[in-house]
Amino acid sequence: MKLFDYARAGRPEEAVRMVAARTTGTFVAGGTDLLNLMKDGAQTHDLVVDVSRLPLTGIEESGGRLRIGAMATMADVALHPVVRRRLPVMSQALLQSASPQIRNMASIGGNLLQRTRCGYFRSPGFACNKREPGSGCAALEGRNRGHAVLGGSDHCIAVHPSDLAVALRALDATVHTLGPDGPRSIGIAGFHRAPGTTPHRENALRHGELVTAVEVPLPAPGVRSRYLKVRDRASFEFALVSAAAVVRMDGRTVREVALAFGGVAPLPWRSAEAEAALRGRALTDTTIGEAGEALVGRARPRGENAFKVELVRRALRDVLDRLGRQR
Amino acid sequence: MSKVVGKPLRRVDARAKVTGAAQYAADARVPGAAHGFLVMSTVARGRISRIDVRAAEAAPGVLAVLTHRTMPRLRTPPGEVPYFKSFVPLQDDRIHHAGQPVALVVAGTLEQAQEAATLVEVRYDSERPRAALLDALDEAYVPPDSHDEPSEYTRGDVAAGREQAEVTVDVTYTTVTQHHNPMEPSVTLAVWDGADLTVHESAQGIGFTRSTLAEALDVPPRNVRVLSPYLGGGFGGKGPVWPHTLLTAAAAREVGRPVKLVLSRAHTYSSTGHRAETHQRLALGARRDGRLTFAEHTTTEQVSRTEQSLHAANKATRLLYGIPNLRTVQRAVRLDLPTGSFMRSPEATTSHVLECALDELSCELGVDPVELRLRNDTRVDLVTGEPFGSRYLAECFRRGAELFGWDRRDPEPRSMRDEDGLVGWGVAAAAHTGGGFPGGAARVTLSEDGTALVQSGTQDIGTGTYTVMTQVSADGLGVPTDAVRFELGDTRFPGAPLSAGSATVPCTVPGVFAACATARDTVVGMAVRDPESPLHGRDPGRITVRDGRLFVTGDPGRYDTYRAVVRRHGEPVVVNSPPQDSFSGYSTGAVFAEVCVHPRLGTVRVRRVTGVFDPGTVLNHRTARSQAIGGAIWNIGFTLTEHTLIDAHAGRVVNPNLSGYLVPVNADVPRVEVEFIDKPDPTSPALNARGFGETPSTGVTAALANAVYHATGRRIRELPLTPDKLL
Repeated sequence: MKLFDYARAGRPEEAVRMVAARTTGTFVAGGTDLLNLMKDGAQTHDLVVDVSRLPLTGIEESGGRLRIGAMATMADVALHPVVRRRLPVMSQALLQSASPQIRNMASIGGNLLQRTRCGYFRSPGFACNKREPGSGCAALEGRNRGHAVLGGSDHCIAVHPSDLAVALRALDATVHTLGPDGPRSIGIAGFHRAPGTTPHRENALRHGELVTAVEVPLPAPGVRSRYLKVRDRASFEFALVSAAAVVRMDGRTVREVALAFGGVAPLPWRSAEAEAALRGRALTDTTIGEAGEALVGRARPRGENAFKVELVRRALRDVLDRLGRQR
Repeated sequence: MSKVVGKPLRRVDARAKVTGAAQYAADARVPGAAHGFLVMSTVARGRISRIDVRAAEAAPGVLAVLTHRTMPRLRTPPGEVPYFKSFVPLQDDRIHHAGQPVALVVAGTLEQAQEAATLVEVRYDSERPRAALLDALDEAYVPPDSHDEPSEYTRGDVAAGREQAEVTVDVTYTTVTQHHNPMEPSVTLAVWDGADLTVHESAQGIGFTRSTLAEALDVPPRNVRVLSPYLGGGFGGKGPVWPHTLLTAAAAREVGRPVKLVLSRAHTYSSTGHRAETHQRLALGARRDGRLTFAEHTTTEQVSRTEQSLHAANKATRLLYGIPNLRTVQRAVRLDLPTGSFMRSPEATTSHVLECALDELSCELGVDPVELRLRNDTRVDLVTGEPFGSRYLAECFRRGAELFGWDRRDPEPRSMRDEDGLVGWGVAAAAHTGGGFPGGAARVTLSEDGTALVQSGTQDIGTGTYTVMTQVSADGLGVPTDAVRFELGDTRFPGAPLSAGSATVPCTVPGVFAACATARDTVVGMAVRDPESPLHGRDPGRITVRDGRLFVTGDPGRYDTYRAVVRRHGEPVVVNSPPQDSFSGYSTGAVFAEVCVHPRLGTVRVRRVTGVFDPGTVLNHRTARSQAIGGAIWNIGFTLTEHTLIDAHAGRVVNPNLSGYLVPVNADVPRVEVEFIDKPDPTSPALNARGFGETPSTGVTAALANAVYHATGRRIRELPLTPDKLL
């Protein structure tokens, strides 16, 4: 790891100013991902500004929305009574993430910004357009069992690792930030980016822009939600595939539905096609199967990850079956 | 006579370990120690065309940046043991595998060394490597015998055995590259004092480390002292001697300061060996009654370009059952990867396939898999023709079946569903050879306070050597365990063999016990000759020693004590015992496992494991049970998750860390039930115990795979059994 400067900011504005002033400056909150990236040589920073003690830890409900401070820990949010009661998909996604130790350290803002687990990205020396733009993508023809089948490009097929982001995508959350030009709000749909030809640009944040809060609309009564995660071991592992479902039923008919998926794409993957296959229809084996077909219609498997096309459909079926049975 | 051996004595080092008082190699406080950090090749094959160390040398705190141009010349230690490489890195510009050291940075702090390491610029003339076994099977060849294991072995008449077979299975299985991943990565801390070298090393064999360092550095072995009081696991990775140890000692001599080098986790994936990928074909034939008539087992294993030792001997196929007609072949395929080595029950790699194929055969025959194994049990080692010292494999199966409730199993696949999914029950035999190394020696020092210091140059890799040797010593001397302090891990102690190959009990217990018995006899002799002793003039052959007291058998009221005898002697009594005869045995067991497979998502959860084992006499039920539980856990990893991913184009590991290389976490580990037959092996000189360390890390792999078949009806012949294979 290269030597770097460390500073602690007293106020968000100060943190933003400090990072904005240094081209390779960055923020650190829990440090559960950043420090590994720096040790592995996947990221280099000459300044790290500690934002973990900023007063951005509150979790408040008002006007039908839950506002979560970006420095709230994963554990705080997962176990918050409103989250557990009203947003089970979010609580479940968080509790199936990482380990208790990491959940006690890692922040909500940092969770959305964690970087891919792609081994090629995390091991300097391999070609990786995300780490070193223009160097190529070794995963395309390499060990890509964990990689994306949806939303990738010929420049990058690394998947976004966050479970929380998948839940937030299904919940239509909003990300609040503070940048050098002041505060702004970014819908979760526009927050993470597909890789295209610039896989090193993973989100809408500008240099020096700090996530300050995540705001989630609380679902109306009758809305049910659930998160399903499939992984290679029982705990402390990233998703092979995951599915977040938020559904309002009217009898057997699906009135409202939001479906987002993890482990399959370079960003939390919302499937409007799958939703359209269910909205206004009865939840049956047939309609669920059609939703699955719609979900993977544009899938592009590469080598070792072809199984995800089938597995994600099964995950969708499983999560909807369980939601449908739930009363 | 035995009082303490067999008791579940708590670990004597437990307090030191849980309080952090135990000083591991990297914890040794050595004033002025500098830190080493390796720079590793990112290509797998070729030459270094240019290496620029100027920026690294100019970095803060850097003492030296040693490359193939500047590293002192080292001699390549000869032979395949204990130095598993045929070359020493940093001696020329050739690259034999990715992750080969190309520079060693020495700096004042670890962080300075790490930063400078990133500043070393290396250019390569690289060639395209070959790194996937299955792409190169047509290049397989039969290498010379490795580690005294025959590359080709035949007994009986295989063609005739095929003729006799009424049912045959002929199956191909593959296993993947795996790494040892001990909690503590390998460590070398080298301290020179003039011509004398002291090395604090995380070593499973301090004697090997000493002889190899002496050879490489061209110094007399007596000038080299190796210390290894504790290990944070080894699993075979710290058994051989590896290049980083030699390079660190040479660098310390070069910079004139002690140097500490701790391999980074990533560096351990190319520095201390691995379980090599295998392709295995096994044909088994039996009569309708289940009696095996023949087997033919061909194992093809990855080797490197520069070494060709094999480490996955198909011993179980040769030893475990009474297969009358047998041929085994061990083949090698050279790839541009580091050499493999022994890992965590090397015999598991091939016994997995044998035990899975037997399950397939049992399905073909319609014979219960437990019954099939009982029908092929043997009391004779068919390789030597000699009977086993003792053998209770059948008892293990019967008792295990009873504990597990095997008779409630419906043999039909997919028949045992419950609300969580498809339930499967599987069974397999566990078996591993143990011992066979030259025997170890020990020294006993009896003090005037009545306590004994027992020293032997063995190692405790976490299996409980400190504790078991304390028990053995206490019984040998006739004193309580709290009167014994057992020390190990120092080449100044009498020598003992490698702590690997399940050898510590069979090869070092005899020497420790003999030293203690000799010390006891010495003190008895001193007492009966001493006019001041209450035992003066008594027949030493009739003296009993118990709880530190010496008395005529049957007359405990009139006694002398160790303390009194040594006090009257005026100085400690020191007894050195020569190495004793050692022993090689075959500890077996039966393992039963229950899994639950998600019918839709393919995830496998292990619900329970039951193991019944026959290690001869159990020296300590607590440590033996821990070993069996640990073996089951590792085998869950072996079977379900562990997989070193190697990029075929680069010949380089893609997941060199515990985030990408998945070992079991607590949530993966169910209740593990362990029992022992605990009957003596009369041929063992190690208090009738056999080596057992590796046995419980076999069997569970096949029991799980067979349970997955029983749950799903799917026979997955490629490890690991991940959800994608079960969709």
